[in-house]
Amino acid sequence: MTLPASILQQPMPLGDLLDLKSFGEVCQSFAELYRIGIKIFDAAGNKLVDVKVGNADFCGYIWQKPDGRSQCIATVQRVKGEPVAEEATPTIFDCFSGCRYAVQPVLYEGDVIGRVVFGPFVPDDLVALPSSLTSISADFDDRLAAGYMQNIRRVPRATAEKVLKHFAEIIDVLVFSGHKNLLTARLHIEAVQESYRELQDKNLQLQETYHALKELDRLKSNFLATMSHELRTPLTSVIGYSEMMLEGLGGPLTAEQREYLQIIMEKGESLLQLITSILDISKIEAGRVKLVLAEVDVATVMRDAVSTVMPLARKKGLRLTWQPAPLPRVQADREKLRQCLINLVNNAVKFTPPGGAVTVEARALPGERVALAVADTGIGIPTSHLPRVFDVFYQVDGSSTREFGGAGLGLAIVKSYVEAHGGEVAVESSEGQGTTFTLVLPVTARGTAVGPAQQAVAAGVASGAAASTSPAAAAG
Amino acid sequence: MVTFNNETRELAVKVVYYGPALSGKTTNLQALFQKIEAKVRGRLMTIDTKDDRTLFFDMMPVFFKTAAGVKVKLKLYTVPGQVMHESTRRIVLQGTDAVAFVADARRSEAGPTLAYWNNMLRNLEANGLDPRTLPIVIQKNKMDLPDLRDDDFADLRQSANAPVVPAVAVRGEGVVETLHALLQLTYREMEQRIGLGSRWRIGEREFLDAVFTHVDVKGTRLPVAGGAS
Repeated sequence: MTLPASILQQPMPLGDLLDLKSFGEVCQSFAELYRIGIKIFDAAGNKLVDVKVGNADFCGYIWQKPDGRSQCIATVQRVKGEPVAEEATPTIFDCFSGCRYAVQPVLYEGDVIGRVVFGPFVPDDLVALPSSLTSISADFDDRLAAGYMQNIRRVPRATAEKVLKHFAEIIDVLVFSGHKNLLTARLHIEAVQESYRELQDKNLQLQETYHALKELDRLKSNFLATMSHELRTPLTSVIGYSEMMLEGLGGPLTAEQREYLQIIMEKGESLLQLITSILDISKIEAGRVKLVLAEVDVATVMRDAVSTVMPLARKKGLRLTWQPAPLPRVQADREKLRQCLINLVNNAVKFTPPGGAVTVEARALPGERVALAVADTGIGIPTSHLPRVFDVFYQVDGSSTREFGGAGLGLAIVKSYVEAHGGEVAVESSEGQGTTFTLVLPVTARGTAVGPAQQAVAAGVASGAAASTSPAAAAG
Repeated sequence: MVTFNNETRELAVKVVYYGPALSGKTTNLQALFQKIEAKVRGRLMTIDTKDDRTLFFDMMPVFFKTAAGVKVKLKLYTVPGQVMHESTRRIVLQGTDAVAFVADARRSEAGPTLAYWNNMLRNLEANGLDPRTLPIVIQKNKMDLPDLRDDDFADLRQSANAPVVPAVAVRGEGVVETLHALLQLTYREMEQRIGLGSRWRIGEREFLDAVFTHVDVKGTRLPVAGGAS
């Protein structure tokens, strides 16, 4: 990487260092004060300022004569272009007309960046028009020319030098402050551009990192989906065969064997549930979930969910109740809605200490909506964690020694499913008092699938899973 | 980059004073401003946009002719030390021929000093400059304060073999020596790269004398210019 060339690296023409309009005014007033003309040239010979005082008639008369004109042009060329000493004292140029110019280089940082031409003025020792002038044409009118010359100021050489020195000092200050202002302005822009370029570089890097991470995340989701499916297949066999043995299909069992088998089945079921959650979330993340909408009686779903979790609640010594209410039928995916409620009730049971209560309620809301609420008297959620409880893998207590198990997927699944219906989720909690999760569903599902639905793929996965859930079929 | 224009016999050298905030970069330039004859230097220009703090640096030109008529134009810059002036630092460092790294000699400043040194290496690289060949002198400034480090900046010199010159810039001590050491290195680098002595017949002595005859060397460890060294 290399930076573009900075203004610090570039030479400065005199015209860029001065504000030519106001500088012209300075020259004008200076020329009027001393009644002598001033011309300023930059290093390349461009005329920046030209103030004439008193010489218009005189020079105009000479200019009418061809010889006068050519000699005048030659003089101007000398004054403008001939090298002058890079010193504080001016160089004197004599004009063929008897007039005189004093020329002083404009020095800045050791470089000649231009020159000041002072004049024409009449040397104070000139007594008569020189023959170099009077001889330029046969019809030259000496008296007329001498009269015109009266308008040009007579200046002793020492005065001319003093005036010029004074003027050079003014220019030096003007050039310095002009340079400073120019550098400040231009460098300011350069610095901002450079900062901007730096920011853009960083943005680009961030963007690349972001894309790489996103791709990695997608690969991970794919992996999870595949793995969950692969894990579920043998697990259903484990559960199925345990069930068959418990039913006595493999011969009579002792009480101990029966107890062990029951434990195997129970643990297998909870493992299956966990794997199913992972599969669900990876399907959601891969955008492969499609809702199967039907007219659903919410009360039935509530009763169903409550009865599913009831054994667990009883075992823990909790009061789990649900309040039936007159509700419109809701257009929803029955299975997913049931799972949402089970997840919430399960959570409530998990985080409520023995003796507490979990209540499931439903009510109709204005605007053709239905709210389902699961309230508990559990440990509650600290306010700082509330905004994130619906995030995937999020755990309020993320420590390895935490009291409550779980994969951190339940609420994320709930949120995705509810939002897929065009509904929304909310949570309220006060620490130590309890938590209420609320699902609000539109009576007519507005949502479509989660992400770009690929029903064929989803169906394929589902039928594959269904086929392998039957151990009898596998055995047969 | 240093340029030698043989047509006009002009040599332009850019020197940058780099270092952490408050290490004494501007103080160095101010001391040199006092010690260098007015006729060979310009004004000390300080650019400071006070309100938005985008820019902050100093610049001083020094110009003179050698005995053989070669015009030398030396431009001394400081970079802004404050962290927020990163982009200005990088711009000022562009095309530099030599760097005086002004470092605080105190032990307590070792951390920031190394951080700024590394920052400089990065900015040199961004400008296509190689710290192993670029003339660099480390000025060990503030030698009058207690708690001095005694390692001569071994941590900095791992990445560039720079000589160390002790200084108390506020009293003008070591300032001229730093510039002298730096210009000596610069001459030698230019000799290698463009053959300043062998090709253009400008000797080291002549080059350094040309600068330092215009510098007040009273009270420095330098010989009076023109004398034997």
